[in-house]
Amino acid sequence: MTKTRVVLADDHTLIRAGLRMVVDAQPDLTVVGEADDGRDAVAIAETLRPDVIVMDIGMPSLNGIEACRQIREKLPETQVVMLSMHSDEGYVLRALKAGAKAYLLKDSAEADLARAIRAVAAGKSFFSPAVGKVLLEDYMRKLQRTGAEDSYDLLSPREREILQLVAEGNSSKDIANLLELSVYTVDTHRAKIMQKLNLHGIPELILYAVRKGVVS
Amino acid sequence: MAKANRLEIADASVDNSSAFAFHGASGLETTPPSNKLRWLFLGVCGFLLALLAASGFIAIRFLGEIHAQELRVTHTLAERAQLLSDLLLSVQTYNQAVQQVLTQAKVDREQTARGRIDALAFEIDSDLKQYPVARDSLEAALVEGIQDVFSQQRTLYISVIATPPDDRQRRAQPAVDEYMIRIQSQMVDYSSRLKAWNGERLQFADQELALEFGSVRAGLKTALTVGFGSGFLLVMAGMAYIVRLERQTHKRYLQLAQSQREMQQLSARLVDVQEDERRTISRELHDEVGQALGALLVDVGRLSTELSDERPEVRTQLDNIKSIAERTFHEVRNIALLLRPSMLDDLGLVAALEWQGREVSRRSDIEVEVQSDIASDTLPDEYRICIYRLVQEALRNAVRHSGAKNAKVTVQQSANSIRVQVTDDGRGFNPTYTRGLGILGMEERVKRLGGTLNVDSGVDHGVTLTAELPIPSEQHLT
Repeated sequence: MTKTRVVLADDHTLIRAGLRMVVDAQPDLTVVGEADDGRDAVAIAETLRPDVIVMDIGMPSLNGIEACRQIREKLPETQVVMLSMHSDEGYVLRALKAGAKAYLLKDSAEADLARAIRAVAAGKSFFSPAVGKVLLEDYMRKLQRTGAEDSYDLLSPREREILQLVAEGNSSKDIANLLELSVYTVDTHRAKIMQKLNLHGIPELILYAVRKGVVS
Repeated sequence: MAKANRLEIADASVDNSSAFAFHGASGLETTPPSNKLRWLFLGVCGFLLALLAASGFIAIRFLGEIHAQELRVTHTLAERAQLLSDLLLSVQTYNQAVQQVLTQAKVDREQTARGRIDALAFEIDSDLKQYPVARDSLEAALVEGIQDVFSQQRTLYISVIATPPDDRQRRAQPAVDEYMIRIQSQMVDYSSRLKAWNGERLQFADQELALEFGSVRAGLKTALTVGFGSGFLLVMAGMAYIVRLERQTHKRYLQLAQSQREMQQLSARLVDVQEDERRTISRELHDEVGQALGALLVDVGRLSTELSDERPEVRTQLDNIKSIAERTFHEVRNIALLLRPSMLDDLGLVAALEWQGREVSRRSDIEVEVQSDIASDTLPDEYRICIYRLVQEALRNAVRHSGAKNAKVTVQQSANSIRVQVTDDGRGFNPTYTRGLGILGMEERVKRLGGTLNVDSGVDHGVTLTAELPIPSEQHLT
């Protein structure tokens, strides 16, 4: 069995060393390279073409989000796990928009890192449980204070199902196969979900799903 | 490089401040306007006014006196001339009457003629007595002379009367011819001398008046000269003093403007230094402490998974250590964020503002909405930090004082400016009277970038804080 090839990008040697131990301890994962800033990460990714890059969001010279965007543009096959200290949706949304599939909080990195790497390698999303919790709290508080309706209630069971599948990283075709529907029908559902939840783009949809605890 | 530049700036500002201190000291050395000068000025003014009043009073009084005196002199002269001509007329009439008596030999008429002559003589005597004479003067002598001549005439007449009428013509005529002409010429002589004396007297009075006038004129002249001189001096001194005051004021104004500029530079620098310091400490905390803790967490976590089955008691301890490390990690992160929001560097201004809005929403009762239409997040760092701190301070004020339920942050970018507005629906305040340090600090930051800050609020109207920042031209070009 081929091991999933991982590159670690973090400007702190200590963190990299710790993460390396966590990754290398897994039989199916291997660290093939390390980078200590964003520019370096892009260059190494281009040379090594790893399956997954674990990237710190705040790095000198080129920050993690920008590096992620460039890597995803150049190497669509390489997935990115974003490491961050912040569970704020501003970060999560931007990481998603930059093309990251997973968002991990540094304080729980050790516990979730292997799962996150495996998830993104399989084309799925992954989020630290704490992220979903914070996002949900923000959302609920806002609903409560503004007296707005929870738009999730507007969704039909089928739409909720599709929301989850989309957020987990499945394509319309995968979903169609899974649910035994036509791709066209899935697309129609997707458009309806976007409209009902007033979302613009997949990143916002994923964020919404994370917030609602639909994916984690 | 950047560090070296900053150091130079610091040195320059130290120089500035020492120069400022020197200015201040020299400013204090200039004498303050003294009270003595004021009193002197007042005294001289009073003196001048008194002089003017006295001169005017004296002049008016003197003119009145001259007029009265002139009237008096003319009056007495006219009176004397009248008396003299009356006298001369009476004497003439008298002479005619005597001639008549002499030439008319009729006895029946003689009685009445004599009566008339006596009456005339009495009249002349009384006229002479009435004539006002100055004592011991030439006038008295002249009047006496006239009296004398008239008494001679009268003696002559009495001697003529004494002769019988028939004989009179023959005996009296020669005497009359002989004396009468002499007496009459004497009379004319006296009277003309009296007239001349009167004329002299008038002249004398005129001279006297002229003399008096001259002395008063000299007095007035002196007074006016003194008045004009001191007035002139006063005006010159006053002008000099005003010029000096003006110069001083101008100098003070320049000093004030200078020190104000320096204060502004200083406070701008303070803001800079504060931001730099915060950024350094934040970076230090984040990079060193935060990352070390992060590594610790990773290691401890790994250790605890490895040991989980064999030693449960060690695992509990490791979990304990982990939770402490986690707490510290979060603390450090929060402190670092407060000092310098890393979002500004990682995600840009808009995300940082949104994050801040959510943070405030999480920690307070205010729901914050952030709306931004900044197209590209390429503002220079000082603009980003200015806007960020502005919003931070405004929201902090809203949380602390307003009791608001909602707050709204809007950032709008136009062709050459950025407009930041923070509104809340709290109880508000009167911005004319209440101007806290927070607002002053915001004003300072905004002014530094050439912008304006407007605080609009009223009791129960909430607060609307608007900042307008011009975008620098190079930014504008790129």
